[in-house]
Amino acid sequence: MAKVEQTAKDETGFEPKIVAFLCKWCSSAGSDLAGVSRLQYPSNAVPITIMCSGSMSPMFVLSAFNKGADGVLVSGCHPGDCHYLKGNFYARRKIYLVQKLLQFIGLENDRFRMSWVSAAEGAKFAQVMHDFVTDIKKIGPQTRLKAKRP
Amino acid sequence: MIDVAQLKAHAKGLLEKGTVRTVFGYRKSTAGLLAEPAGITEAAQADDLIFDPSCVQNLALYLVNDKKHQAEKRSDDKRPVAVVAKGCDSRAITVLLQENHFSRESVHVIGVSCEGTGVVDARKLARKLGNKKALAVAFDGADAFAVTTNEGTQSIAAAEVMAERCLECRSAHPTLSDVVFGEAKAERGLHTPFQAVKAKIKESEEDRWAYWSRQFDRCLRCYACRSVCPMCYCDECVVDSISFVIAPDTTAEEKANRIKWIERSPAKSESAMYHMVRAIHLAGRCIDCAECERVCPVNIPLRLLNTRLEMEAFETFQYNPGSDPELPTLTSSFRDTDPNSFIR
Repeated sequence: MAKVEQTAKDETGFEPKIVAFLCKWCSSAGSDLAGVSRLQYPSNAVPITIMCSGSMSPMFVLSAFNKGADGVLVSGCHPGDCHYLKGNFYARRKIYLVQKLLQFIGLENDRFRMSWVSAAEGAKFAQVMHDFVTDIKKIGPQTRLKAKRP
Repeated sequence: MIDVAQLKAHAKGLLEKGTVRTVFGYRKSTAGLLAEPAGITEAAQADDLIFDPSCVQNLALYLVNDKKHQAEKRSDDKRPVAVVAKGCDSRAITVLLQENHFSRESVHVIGVSCEGTGVVDARKLARKLGNKKALAVAFDGADAFAVTTNEGTQSIAAAEVMAERCLECRSAHPTLSDVVFGEAKAERGLHTPFQAVKAKIKESEEDRWAYWSRQFDRCLRCYACRSVCPMCYCDECVVDSISFVIAPDTTAEEKANRIKWIERSPAKSESAMYHMVRAIHLAGRCIDCAECERVCPVNIPLRLLNTRLEMEAFETFQYNPGSDPELPTLTSSFRDTDPNSFIR
């Protein structure tokens, strides 16, 4: 028990809130596989299943940051593996532009990330989450785009 | 040099024959230096038309507004509308055609070339003139403006008082037109394109955030940038809950359950979100007419924000908005060679 607490909390006690938009056909199944394979990975992500990474609206990303997410992950099928054949190619272009815009206004680089995780890559999903949480813990809570609501 | 008499004669001819419903052009304003947009419906009024460096507005906006008005009036007049379009305006029209906002037959584009000099930046001109007040500005040769003030006319090098966007202009000549007046001159190239963006990118993340946070904090959310943008034609705007259409059969529940993506208060976080939503919606559509920046009452450098993604479109995806109405739009197309290394 003591060991679990140690891995879940660092010295500052900051636990990042991560919103993960996972494609229903690959990444969502990949996260399931990580779970059923009993892989240990940080539990900071709120998974939201979307039908395709191509259906990902930039509004979702901006809105998540506005509502206080410390990090946003978009994850879809590898290029060529899309259930809808080319949805992830559209996503790649769109997410690239969103990332450039967020960087330009000065949001920390590490807060927004995209990954390709297939349904068979439970271990990769665990690794992606682990890296993301580690990186965000280093930069601390997201305050720049967060709305100040009572 | 553009011959305004020919432009007037052409507009007059169109209206006399009745082949167009309205001619959108510029006329001398009664308030200040800059020309005002005019919708001309009578052949006799065609003599009011002007074209000089004070014609800064993007008239593509009036095509969009005209479409809305025609729908509201339930007009069955299917005649095309004519519009006076500079290089940048013609690109805006091309983007609207690309998006099937209206058909090619419904618009008669009267292209005007702003040639070597482009249009004037009223703020730069006021700074240059000091306490003298500019009353009129005219083309003066290939690289100067003749500025008339209360103390007489003087010639000013165009590069000194030209709008920022004109300095970087890559196609001053209309790319899409039914008739063109003025000499074809494609590239002005006084400044390297995207230089302001490139300088900003070199700054540190903290500096950039400090800069933008100051800008967004100032925003009043008057939505002038949205109103003046020919690309912001949606009836319902995601960032503005009062624009949601309420039909007679919209239930109270539907009204209550509409997603409010952002609050309407001009808080920094909400304004940041608003400007970013607008920037991302303009990715690959913004033709750099810089009207948003011109109309901003608090001088937010919106052109800098919008050209960030234009630079990406141009340099990474080799996409130049408004170059070809047949081309798919930036975000509705992809290539196998698109950047992939940023994805883990």
